Amino acid sequence: MNFHLKTAVNSIKRFPFQALAAIFVLIITFFVGSILSVLIYSSANILKYFETRPQVIAFLKDGVTTEAISALQHKLSNDTRVKEIRYVSKEEALSIYKNATIDNPLLGELVDPSIFPASLEFSLADLSKAKDVIAEVKGEAVVESVGFTANLGGEKSLGDVVERLKKATFYIRLGGGIFAGLLVGTSFLVLVVTLSMRIAVRRDEAAILNLIGAKKSFIRNPIILESIIYVLTGVVVGWLLTLISVLYLAPAVINYFGEIQVLPREPLKLFLLLGFILGIEIVGGIILALAGSNLALSRSRRSR
Amino acid sequence: MIKFKNVTKTYGEVVALKDVSFEVKDGEFVFLMGPSGAGKTTVLKLILGEIRPDSGEVLFGTTNVAKIAEKDLPKLRQKIGCVFQDFKLLNERTVAENVEIALAVLEVSESKWPERIEKVLKVVGLSTRKDFFPAQLSGGELQRASLARALVVNPDLILADEPTGNLDWDTADEMMNLLEKVNKEGKTVIMATHNKEIVAKMKKRVIKLAGGKIIKT
Repeated sequence: MNFHLKTAVNSIKRFPFQALAAIFVLIITFFVGSILSVLIYSSANILKYFETRPQVIAFLKDGVTTEAISALQHKLSNDTRVKEIRYVSKEEALSIYKNATIDNPLLGELVDPSIFPASLEFSLADLSKAKDVIAEVKGEAVVESVGFTANLGGEKSLGDVVERLKKATFYIRLGGGIFAGLLVGTSFLVLVVTLSMRIAVRRDEAAILNLIGAKKSFIRNPIILESIIYVLTGVVVGWLLTLISVLYLAPAVINYFGEIQVLPREPLKLFLLLGFILGIEIVGGIILALAGSNLALSRSRRSR
Repeated sequence: MIKFKNVTKTYGEVVALKDVSFEVKDGEFVFLMGPSGAGKTTVLKLILGEIRPDSGEVLFGTTNVAKIAEKDLPKLRQKIGCVFQDFKLLNERTVAENVEIALAVLEVSESKWPERIEKVLKVVGLSTRKDFFPAQLSGGELQRASLARALVVNPDLILADEPTGNLDWDTADEMMNLLEKVNKEGKTVIMATHNKEIVAKMKKRVIKLAGGKIIKT
């Protein structure tokens, strides 16, 4: 084992409780950090789903000709604000209704296809353009009325739903960021305090090493390595806890959210996401370790 | 090897050395003698570059230690083996580890450590104590461990500051025999002491200091 690494490991063994305190705080920090990263990914996906999937339904007047419908469909398909246009006939509308009332077949049997209007369903590329598009579609001669899919709660609430989602996502990011920032700050301070104690204990050793010709780096390296050992242990254990939690909860979460892809469904993509988080945390962790050890070392130099 | 030219060093109002000049040649064994406060330790600290003189030159070979850059000090100190009255061993490390740290400082390849440590511990008679911690050793053994650490790097110069100060007569005698052996192998030794019996027995050159001045070279 490298001499400096051996010195760092011996130092940890010599004062295990200080080391454990630092490592536990770092584990919590990186566990929460990993979970927050997954939450931010999921919330971004939920928002993206609702931003891109709200369906506008243009209900058509009875007796409208196929040519008129085709003309409107063609016009909308050329509109860059509109995407995924689909014509739903009266029969299809009845079928949708029957599927929706499958638990109560009587409701399905009591209705006639003629009461359901044919419609053109489409989604919007950008929800901020919704009002303009709806107003324009409403003005079309073949359109009776314009509505939205039921799960969005109707035309007036469409903006509210997306706004609420945007706010929720913003607060998850802001709150999560503040919380993670506090944890990182706490970890940093614990790291600096632990390393400062180590340096204080090793002050005589440093003086002796200095006398026998040790360079500054020779005295500093074990402290920096010790800091990196703490942080990397925190990162790896925190990440493993996240991995276990995600693997345990993923089936239920994916099932609950249905077609909204809150987490990657393919195991490889899920591991890629978590691997990306691990990579970022290792880089961030090493920066934290270097900053913490350098601050502790510079404080010890000033106090000499 | 070592040359002091008109060196003066003060600590505030206290004059530790005043216009001191002397020379120590390669392979010499020199005692720095004098009562407490005479300036013996100051001379050793000046050679090590621990402190700087107020005026004058301290030459180690061609290097003026008085003006050496901070970054070059480790290189200078790596040429010097130090033995201290209070041993200055690392208490959390075994004898062998205390010796190996000097090799690590010198960046000697780790593959060469066992052989060199074994050899130097044999010279100082501590082969059977290599896995002992300082707390488990006697005063004489501690001082021999300190000498082993100084010798393992094959230094040009050995500085010994009262190395027998904490030892009984027999143990001090053993220590002096070791230093003499080292000197006979070609190392320059400068030893600060106020022990007249040891100086008388060794019959080596003596530089006498009193009140920061040389009274005999």
